[in-house]
Amino acid sequence: MSSLTSTAMFVAPLLALLVIWAIIVPVFEINPRIFPSVGMVGSAAMDSIRDGTLIWHIGASLMRVGLGTIIGVVLAVPLGIAMGVSPGVSAFLTPLFRFFSVLAGIAWIPIATLWFGYGFGAIIFVIVNAVFFVVAYNTLLGVSTIPRSLRNAAASLGAGRWAILTQVLLPGALPNIVTGIRTGLGFAWRGLIAAEMIATNVGLGYMLFVARDFYRTEVIVLGMIIIGSIWLLIDRMLLVPLERATIERWGLVRRA
Amino acid sequence: MNMILQGWGAYVRLTQKLPGIAALIPFIPVVAIWTAVAASGLFPRAFFPGPVDVVNSFMTLVYKGILPAYLQDSLIRLLNGAALGIAIGVPMGILIGTSKTAHRISWPVLLFFQAIGDIAWLPILLIWFGFGLTTMTFVIVYTVVFPVILNTVLGVESVPRDLARAARSLGASRARVLWEVTIPGALPNIITGLRNGLGYGWRALIAVEMIVGTSGIGFMMFDARRAGSVVEILVGMIILGLLWYIVDAWILAPIERATGQRWGLVLS
Repeated sequence: MSSLTSTAMFVAPLLALLVIWAIIVPVFEINPRIFPSVGMVGSAAMDSIRDGTLIWHIGASLMRVGLGTIIGVVLAVPLGIAMGVSPGVSAFLTPLFRFFSVLAGIAWIPIATLWFGYGFGAIIFVIVNAVFFVVAYNTLLGVSTIPRSLRNAAASLGAGRWAILTQVLLPGALPNIVTGIRTGLGFAWRGLIAAEMIATNVGLGYMLFVARDFYRTEVIVLGMIIIGSIWLLIDRMLLVPLERATIERWGLVRRA
Repeated sequence: MNMILQGWGAYVRLTQKLPGIAALIPFIPVVAIWTAVAASGLFPRAFFPGPVDVVNSFMTLVYKGILPAYLQDSLIRLLNGAALGIAIGVPMGILIGTSKTAHRISWPVLLFFQAIGDIAWLPILLIWFGFGLTTMTFVIVYTVVFPVILNTVLGVESVPRDLARAARSLGASRARVLWEVTIPGALPNIITGLRNGLGYGWRALIAVEMIVGTSGIGFMMFDARRAGSVVEILVGMIILGLLWYIVDAWILAPIERATGQRWGLVLS
């Protein structure tokens, strides 16, 4: 019940916005080249669903982000933990990772397209890159914030290296890892849209950018709504609850 | 082994004396490996130039005056966007944070528009404003404004109500409560929001310059890509990284730390 009302509370302002849009466009007779009416966007949505292009674009974008994120996380977490184990090494490597996480994503588009050509490879590279450095840096931070006494205590109780890794380091760093994934995915999603505008022939970014060439604002607005909704769903339904759960479960929250 | 340990010890002592160096030394082995890989001829030189080529190219670009001019363009765009973003974001954040109704109405809308993301606005902005400064400024303001608003709201709400009530009961006017309780209390969050916003804004600027491109570092990189000049792309990337590193580590992070210490509501 309470989750139902909170959902309604969340949706109501967005619906109100929709109503305002539906009223303003016909009343002020706005040129559809400037801003489309609700009906036009709706019919654009129906058309593109019917001929399958919308699903095709969304699928391509999601597949790229999913694959890129998985590769990035799989590479970054072990590396981050390995680096974070020694405070000296982590202090040494932190500036490097800060430097590269600044560059993460969009700044690699020109060189990625040169190295891999326009298409799948370049886009995956950009996404892996965006996720990898942010997640590795956050994992490093997470491991190095685990109090040394916890590791010492586990070791003196007879835990082997493997047990310390799986039972102390990994859980201790998990909240930071999840935060890193959330930030990295945020950059990756933006990077994906930018990369798709520049370097491919399928995907949401491409759909938007091609629509611009023909002044089809209804397709552009449809694309924007879809991009916003997908990210909102991923972030609010998946990442935020995950982050909250890991912080509650494994976060090193000290009670006063 | 002993040598390594002694060297490590000397390094640790040195970095403790001069913390600034600790941020630079880690890049030495990276550059060394880069040089070695480039010199080994594993990849064609045009595809994978060495550091010397990059420095040469940097010198040429500076000498020709292209790089300083583009850098100036990019920075001015970022600064304009950031200033406008703050000017819009902070008042809106305070308004939304102080009023429960405004919060309830605007929060989903804010989240949704933040989720659309700067770059997705580009196509329609190009239709509205054409290829030009307005489009770029709009995108940067858009990127900066949301993190600032969201964090300002969080900051305003993190100020304990009791503090505002206490100030009121001691006879402070609403304006004074706002000025002396709410804003200072929210300041650490506002700065954090600004830092996040600028981080996103910086990336957005690069993307916009690549796509809209008439000048700027992003344009330089993408133009180099068209000419197939990896060296100039690398120059651009290194400048971007260094510049943001300096802005973030030496300007924004200290400000954030200082406001956190001065006004942060750390409950002991």
